[in-house]
Amino acid sequence: MPSDVETASPPASDPAAAGPPASDLGVGRPTKRRPGAAVGGLPVADPRPVFEASAVLGCRCTACRYPVAQPGIPWCPVCYSPVAPDRFAASGAVWSSTVVAIRVGPLRPPFGLAYLDLDDGPRILVRLADPAVVPIGTRLTITGTDGGDLIAAPEDSTEETS
Amino acid sequence: MIQPMLWGVGTSAYGLFPERRVESLAWDAIAEAVRDAGVVPGQIDAIIVGSVFGPPGVATRVQRGLGLGGIPMWTIENACASGTSAYHEAVEAVRLGRFGCVLVLGVDQMSTLFSGAIVPEATDPEGAASLPLPGLYALQAQRYLGQFGVTREQLAAVAVKNKRNGLDNPRAQLRAAAPTVAEVLSSRLIADPLTLLQCCPTSDGAGAAIVGPDRGNRDDLRIEASVTVSGMLWDQRGSDVWGYASVARAAEKAFAQAGRTPAEIDVLEVHDAFTIGEIITLEALGLAPRGKGAELAPSGHTARDGAQPVNPSGGLLSRGHPLGATGTAQLAEIAWQLRGRAGARQVARHRVGLVETMGGGAAGMDGNACVVTIVSAQG
Repeated sequence: MPSDVETASPPASDPAAAGPPASDLGVGRPTKRRPGAAVGGLPVADPRPVFEASAVLGCRCTACRYPVAQPGIPWCPVCYSPVAPDRFAASGAVWSSTVVAIRVGPLRPPFGLAYLDLDDGPRILVRLADPAVVPIGTRLTITGTDGGDLIAAPEDSTEETS
Repeated sequence: MIQPMLWGVGTSAYGLFPERRVESLAWDAIAEAVRDAGVVPGQIDAIIVGSVFGPPGVATRVQRGLGLGGIPMWTIENACASGTSAYHEAVEAVRLGRFGCVLVLGVDQMSTLFSGAIVPEATDPEGAASLPLPGLYALQAQRYLGQFGVTREQLAAVAVKNKRNGLDNPRAQLRAAAPTVAEVLSSRLIADPLTLLQCCPTSDGAGAAIVGPDRGNRDDLRIEASVTVSGMLWDQRGSDVWGYASVARAAEKAFAQAGRTPAEIDVLEVHDAFTIGEIITLEALGLAPRGKGAELAPSGHTARDGAQPVNPSGGLLSRGHPLGATGTAQLAEIAWQLRGRAGARQVARHRVGLVETMGGGAAGMDGNACVVTIVSAQG
């Protein structure tokens, strides 16, 4: 499991991020602050997909079977039919991946992110267990969560460790 | 229907101005646009503002300094397309005869909120998972590298072109030097494959425009088309990268409205927040087939002296990207180009111009909003 999530509250500024250094900005003046615990503001409801008992939770259209990894939507966003809760496979194919080299919120670089098309399920954003770009179509399995982020690893590597 | 015209434009300088009140950036842009349009402030009968981070009430505080109270005023937030969304509403209002002289303002002051990349929105499923905007564009870029064989050098060529253009823009934020492809690629990695010099900077600034009906002024620019679209679902069903379809939808409607083809456009300002953004946008606008947009900068097609110059201002990569101000900054550059008053940046053919602004960042949608407008000089 990655251990790159900080438990202490991170600072509101990120000198390692893209853009010119601005260390003196705001000194001695009133400051504004964006909401969100990750930047020192107040917490918000967690909007990330939920991983529970080896499945990604969400809902599926009862008519066209469109899958969504978000709860609480009022109807199918494709055909407007009723939706029902569903559980999606934790495995799928990578649509694209990247390695982020700047600090973002609680995450320290490098960390890998990928869009994963779950088998018969929705496209979701996952964090890569190993921060390295993987080829399009690579098979990944979600192995758990870290700080609420879904963590995914190549299928063969999860089989080796299980 | 009334023919809407672009009467005048103005901008502030672009850069990091945390010591300035955000209103003063807006006043710089508005004062120049009012002078450029040759109107007196009392003629303005509506104000439409585009801003992402405000702050709340900024438009009213701007109004206070202008002495333009009582008239209809509202603020639009459409991510990076906020400024051009405000412009689009002005165009439609004039077309329908609702107003006769509309002030459009785009403004944002990022330096008082972020010291680097925009902190992802905590209420968004992907923002909460720490996907930064350069990461979102990097996922597009990786798809283009893997699917179409686009090279890192082709990505870098966009930055080289736009930063070279920006050297001649006295209002651009970054104009110290034009890097080589090797320098772009060896700059600090932000999100693979995007390096620092392929990312727009954090910026403050404002832009303004005056839109009204045809008043018989030969200097006014004809607004041949203005289209806004919102995002649609972006998911496992489609093969397009995020963002492509929203730009394509707006472009198709804009070309139909203007009765023009992409080949008829002389000069363009498009949304190059990151190098891959310009490549995908130009494909969606129809300047290149899918997967071939990366060839346009290396071939010189989109250079300032090329067949279809793109981002002669230096684009977001040089000028900077104060979100709400960007669309109005793009409009100003196209207006100066079409009137032949762009100085050292002037392109040779300048009768028809196009502005494209795409705002995004909401998970699972192909964009938050996209605006495409086509404007032409008279005669």
